[in-house]
Amino acid sequence: MPTEVPDDRRYTDQHEWALVQGSEGAGTVVRVGITDHAQDALGDIVFVQLPEVGEEVSPGSPMGEVESTKSVSDVYAPVAGVVAAINTALADAPETINADPYGEGWLVEITVTGDDGDPTAGMLDADAYQALVDAS
Amino acid sequence: MSSRTSSLHDRHVAAGAKMADFSGWSMPIEYAGGGVLAEHTAVRQAVGLFDVSHLGTATVRGPGAAAYVDSCLTNDLSRIEPGRAQYTLCCLPDGEPDAGGVVDDLILYLHGPDDVLLVPNAANAAEVLRRLSERAPDGVTVTDRHEEIAVLALQGPRSPQVLAAVGLPGELPYMAFTDEGGHGGDEVTVCRTGYTGEHGYELLVAAERAGALWDALLAAGEAEGIQPCGLGARDTLRTEMGYPLHGHELSREITPNQARSGWAVGWRKPAFWGREALLAEREAGAARLLWGLQAPGRQIPRPGMAVLGAGGAAVGTVTSGTFSPTLRVGIGLALLDTAAGVAEGAELAVDVRGRPQPVRVVKPPFVAPNVR
Repeated sequence: MPTEVPDDRRYTDQHEWALVQGSEGAGTVVRVGITDHAQDALGDIVFVQLPEVGEEVSPGSPMGEVESTKSVSDVYAPVAGVVAAINTALADAPETINADPYGEGWLVEITVTGDDGDPTAGMLDADAYQALVDAS
Repeated sequence: MSSRTSSLHDRHVAAGAKMADFSGWSMPIEYAGGGVLAEHTAVRQAVGLFDVSHLGTATVRGPGAAAYVDSCLTNDLSRIEPGRAQYTLCCLPDGEPDAGGVVDDLILYLHGPDDVLLVPNAANAAEVLRRLSERAPDGVTVTDRHEEIAVLALQGPRSPQVLAAVGLPGELPYMAFTDEGGHGGDEVTVCRTGYTGEHGYELLVAAERAGALWDALLAAGEAEGIQPCGLGARDTLRTEMGYPLHGHELSREITPNQARSGWAVGWRKPAFWGREALLAEREAGAARLLWGLQAPGRQIPRPGMAVLGAGGAAVGTVTSGTFSPTLRVGIGLALLDTAAGVAEGAELAVDVRGRPQPVRVVKPPFVAPNVR
């Protein structure tokens, strides 16, 4: 069954998505989650370990974990910044990620400081991510 | 090396199963429209159908076949009559390195004094057969039937209704089997056994006939809420029961004494492989013992993680762990050092990738079994 890749956001090759929410003071807020392909590959998600609000994160370093019955997968920060919010609803309902990975199943929001425009601009667009999934 | 496939492989692929390699066999982990949690729940509350054809099958036949096997494997065949099956262990013989360690755990079907069928694990089938063949007396023949026989597991409280609906006999005591099962003229061996903790059956059928039986069971089970189940759910189900899995709770380095599988050892038998080593260990007391670990929340102990006692000292290692779909918390099995003096109810921690997470020591099963 083909998985969805909406074109309103950007992607990493580690199967995270990033969607700019807007500006907040001097920063840009980016919402982050895992892709439909990632949740499908993991299977039923039963536990999520998220960073603390206020924690600094940087690209390429793990900021959390998503666990299925069988395996654990690291979640990497797609952008550098400070964790502004976490999806606390996932603590009791991690299966929300399976049901709605691009919506209610979001993981964290990261505030990126600086005025260099869209902090997700350098990431994969939907076509590039789809190509990556197709090749895997 | 390409994987071996079950005779039901095409059906699994057509059903959208995620396939994975299990000891050289490509087998379904979970099915589209199911998933581990839904498949697990189907078995606990209704009925599930598993293809477990990766399990080995072998016959040992000839004059004195049963007595010969009884002199090798640990459990005591005098405890059962023909027509009954028995859980038993193949241990490393005395005189070999790791004597008493477990080569494999298996189910033995006793047909009669001259005819025994063995169901070992996929990974160890060849080794068990090699060892039994090597020492077999004249006239006793060990024959591999792995590719010839498919194994299906029908498990759950509604399994008797499904079996009856396809015309197979289900009125059997626990661990009894019958060859009287005919399905469209095909011989099917039905055994009241399983690996889930629920009332259930394992069905042995000629590989080329397995597809027709699989289809018939799924069709007949529709009214009972049947769900095809993959090996993912098989693992969460067995872990909730605290059943050992070879390579995790039993291995060449882990003896039956340590895994609390001594109930499957015929201690009064004059001979079985590893007897001296196991008796000596039993006398001295095992240096480590298998326990259950239950997390207060969803944090999952995983195999290989260190178990930490007071002050953060390592007192053992997690051997299996998963999320319990029934209890909605993390559960695990662990070998804990006897010297640490751990008792039921003790509060320990598991080192989850650098974060110590609390767990309570419990005696499995985590969930009450309904096998009988």
